[in-house]
Amino acid sequence: MKNSTLNSLLYLVLKRDLVLSFRRTSTYLTPLAFFLVVLTFFPLALGTDSNFLQRIGPGVLWISALLSSLLAVEGIFNDDYKDGTLDQMFLSNQPAFLLIIAKVFSHWLITGAPILLASIIGVIFFFLPSSAVFPLLLSLTLGTLILSFFSAFGGAISLGKGAILSAIIVLPFSVPILLLGTSVTNAALNGDDYSGFLFFLGALFVLVMPFISLATAEALRINND
Amino acid sequence: MTSFSAIKKWLISMGSTPFLYKWISRFLPILMTICFIFLSISLFWGLLLAPTDYKQGDVYRIIFMHVPSSILSQSIFIFMSIVGGICLIWRAKVAGMLLRCSAPIGASFTFLALVSGAIWGKPTWGTWWVWDARLTSTLILFFIYIAIIGIYSSVDEKQKGDRSAALLSLVGVVMIPIIKKSVDWWQTLHQPSTFSFTKSPSMPPDMYLPLLACVLSFYFLFVVLLLLRLRTEIALREDRKNWFKREVLKK
Repeated sequence: MKNSTLNSLLYLVLKRDLVLSFRRTSTYLTPLAFFLVVLTFFPLALGTDSNFLQRIGPGVLWISALLSSLLAVEGIFNDDYKDGTLDQMFLSNQPAFLLIIAKVFSHWLITGAPILLASIIGVIFFFLPSSAVFPLLLSLTLGTLILSFFSAFGGAISLGKGAILSAIIVLPFSVPILLLGTSVTNAALNGDDYSGFLFFLGALFVLVMPFISLATAEALRINND
Repeated sequence: MTSFSAIKKWLISMGSTPFLYKWISRFLPILMTICFIFLSISLFWGLLLAPTDYKQGDVYRIIFMHVPSSILSQSIFIFMSIVGGICLIWRAKVAGMLLRCSAPIGASFTFLALVSGAIWGKPTWGTWWVWDARLTSTLILFFIYIAIIGIYSSVDEKQKGDRSAALLSLVGVVMIPIIKKSVDWWQTLHQPSTFSFTKSPSMPPDMYLPLLACVLSFYFLFVVLLLLRLRTEIALREDRKNWFKREVLKK
């Protein structure tokens, strides 16, 4: 990686992670299946009244997305930690937070993007009107991206200690995402202007991306020495 | 300038655990006595001498527990993020210990604030709990405290656990205002803050002076509890060191 430019560095990490994930089906299929199963369980437990389901739909979709993205927390760094790839990354003399941004993005492509597609099924399950689809997808895109950064931080700080601990770390920080995301979808359902909430979600993403990737790099350094 | 350099020298010497251990052992009994007297006076003043509220009756007196513990729950977090920063940047051993010792105290005060708020809410609002902005963000603060306790107690190597907890407290201190702001968009039932630096208090002096005394004595209580825990933490970590054996066998 002597003459690597920034883009090729990001590209290499992204490509490596994607290839590794697609070789093992469970990495991208498990969160997706979990998301759909959780979605199915809400009407089973709470009844099938379409008005009620429509009202709780956005919240249910968001909580399910949150939980299923937590499911994959361990996969981000644990394998690299075990086989020594993480050591090589820190030895490679490249800025660690850039490597982390690439890893987070690949994690999002593997776990977040399928959830986005599956949420269209959720729209049908919960009888949401078609006018809510676009704001839901837009807010879920931003929300799952931010969540991926928090998951990376949770996975890095609890490296090798199990998913429950990282869930406890990540969940309190994802409260703003949940509130803003459901506000976008609920505003769209009521026919109100939702752009304000969406802008806040975007601002949160812009804040979280550099800040959390630096914190993740530091967490990996603490746990990897 | 001489006094400043003297303070600096004293602070640096406090970074040495044997010196700190001896200092705490020497001054803790005095500090505990002063704290006990101060706390009893301010609670006596608040719970018995302060006038009864014309609207809420004697129920309002729980404010003398509730407000100090909720102020402390936030102050301790800020304190933790400061010592966490010191721990990460300068790798100061004592800073990590301070962080580790203050997390359970902070969690306890947050818990106390939540419980006393529930007890106050029942007669005045009619319910133990409402999904109000302040209550919710305090609950989330409590969860973050639990996360910090969880992270350092899951790591066997003390220094590593200290640094992980320090990092988490720094992320927390950035995220908490955002969490608060996003939770604030809900309907807020809670009364606004009692104390403010910019406005004069809306309470009569008979009420806010004992409240101020309670807040200050709760801060004092935090310092005393922190020193107590810090002494135990030093003893736990350095029980194999020669200075510690000498210190214990001396008596």
